[in-house]
Amino acid sequence: MKLFDKYNRVNIAVTVIIMLVTGIIYYYTISHILTNQIDKDLVLEENEIFSYVNKNQRLPDVYESNHQQIVFAPLRNKSAERRFLDTTYHDSDEKDLEAGRALISSVKISGQNYRILVTQSKVETEDLIQIIFLITIGVIVSLLVILIVLNRVILKSIWKPFYKVLFQLKEFSLAGHTTINSNPSNIDEFTELDQAVISMADRVKSDYQNLKAFTENASHELMTPISVINSKLDTLVQTDEFTDRQSKLLNDIYGTVTRLTRLNKSMLLLAKIENGLIKDNQAVDIKDVLEECLYQHEEMIHQLNIKLVTDLRDKHLQANKPLVEILLNNLLSNAIRHNHQDGELSVYLDSEKLTISNTGKGHFDFQQVLKRFHKSDGSEGIGLGLTLCKQICDNYGFKFDYVQHGKMHAFNITF
Amino acid sequence: MKILIVEDETGLRDSIEAYFTGSDSICETANDFTSALAKVSIYRYDCIILDLTLPHGNGLNIVKHLKENNHNDGVLIISAKDSLDDRLTGLDLGADDYLTKPFHLSELKSRVTAIVRRRSFNGSNNLKFNEIEIDLDAKAVKVKDAVVKFTRKEYSLLLYFIANKGKVVSKSAIAEHLWGDSIDIADNFDFIYSHIKNIRKKLIEAGGNDYIQAAYGMGYKFTDA
Repeated sequence: MKLFDKYNRVNIAVTVIIMLVTGIIYYYTISHILTNQIDKDLVLEENEIFSYVNKNQRLPDVYESNHQQIVFAPLRNKSAERRFLDTTYHDSDEKDLEAGRALISSVKISGQNYRILVTQSKVETEDLIQIIFLITIGVIVSLLVILIVLNRVILKSIWKPFYKVLFQLKEFSLAGHTTINSNPSNIDEFTELDQAVISMADRVKSDYQNLKAFTENASHELMTPISVINSKLDTLVQTDEFTDRQSKLLNDIYGTVTRLTRLNKSMLLLAKIENGLIKDNQAVDIKDVLEECLYQHEEMIHQLNIKLVTDLRDKHLQANKPLVEILLNNLLSNAIRHNHQDGELSVYLDSEKLTISNTGKGHFDFQQVLKRFHKSDGSEGIGLGLTLCKQICDNYGFKFDYVQHGKMHAFNITF
Repeated sequence: MKILIVEDETGLRDSIEAYFTGSDSICETANDFTSALAKVSIYRYDCIILDLTLPHGNGLNIVKHLKENNHNDGVLIISAKDSLDDRLTGLDLGADDYLTKPFHLSELKSRVTAIVRRRSFNGSNNLKFNEIEIDLDAKAVKVKDAVVKFTRKEYSLLLYFIANKGKVVSKSAIAEHLWGDSIDIADNFDFIYSHIKNIRKKLIEAGGNDYIQAAYGMGYKFTDA
């Protein structure tokens, strides 16, 4: 629920309840006052009757007056209890029932008790209450409308800085180059929020930068000891004769050092791409690079007896050549490595896109394999290949996706 | 050939020196910028193996110094920074080649040999090894004056072996040389064997000697003996 709706809901509910309670109290008060007024009239009439009876020792003649009726009825021995009551009033002219107020009293004339019933119409009082009620409702409704409109306008303008900050937060990306701008506001809370968000963003960004720089530096620093190990190994194998066991161990060490090197280089490369350190763009002939990559993989293709279908048109790009080579090598290498004996590999290139599709077993979750260090079962790679491909594509704004048709896995790069 | 190794990492410097010393090379070493600069100011080298990140200065300034003084020494930059950082800066300044750490000593040797060969260019760009004669421009190989056809990888491998003659060259080094480091090397070990088998076969069929020996399952050795 939006803040505005929540606020309005509470606000309006409370307002309506208060108005209703006030209205009820108002109604009862006015009705009480008016009834008192009528009662006074009734008492006045009673007094008139009493004074007439005192003077003349007989009941007065009854006149049908406006909205007032007087009825006398003889009582036996008992006397009527004096009381006011709400009753109905029969208007002789209009012949309909109206609300009325009556006073019952008694008078004694020459030993005979008479009951006096004075009734007065409350129709005017009712009318008055109705008008008051209508006015009150009108006030409530217009007040509500004004409240809603006012709330909306005020909230919108007051919360503007908040929504600006929110928008910037939504747009915020660690890797991106967007910065969060200050949104000056004359409301203390929003100024504070603004400053907190800016300082948080700065802190997070600088932490992230440090982390990236650390990854890069760490990978970088590792290169020196690795190259020492590598060169010592190269020197060691020159020294003497080796037994089978020793040479097997040495081979394993070589293999591991090579893996370590590849891993480290990939991490370094990822860090560099992320840090935007890859520049040095030049015209790259994609077709050329593809052909060279295919040449590099020819032994593997022959060994697996893969049917290679190529359809390569000319495509030139402004890019960093080693990076493009890594991208295409990784894709081709995957397409061959995850292929099977007598499989197929097709490479299609035109000016808009490159498609590398291959036969392969099973299926995989594309989003999953893009993650760092994700390895499919039986994969001997370091788990950074496709991550690198994705990063390189992102770097140049290429679209990188994957589709599977039956046994064919196809990777597309849309330039 | 006379070589200067400028490298501050002792382990690496010693290995390079050990690998180069012997055959037909004289090696000198420098472990920081100042001593390297002092050496290049006085002596001339066929090739300088130059690390870029040195104590007291950037190796690139040594390249600059050489160019400013019109010294024609070959320069091979070795650096942990890779091709994406300052390969071009180095090559623009006049270095002959660039090798990213970590590298195999055999790769370094082959690169240095190539630089020295190019520098000592004397009319014909031919390389002779006993009965094998290689035209480096045409990339053509003759054995006993008869042309032998090698594939691109076989040719490259033959040159690599000749540059590293007498040394055990590991399979990792061969794979990296042939396929580059962006391809998983372990995939290609089996293919090294077939390439080498082909080279041997072609050399022997042309009447040449069998120079390539397997070395304890770790690699191969190209020997004159």
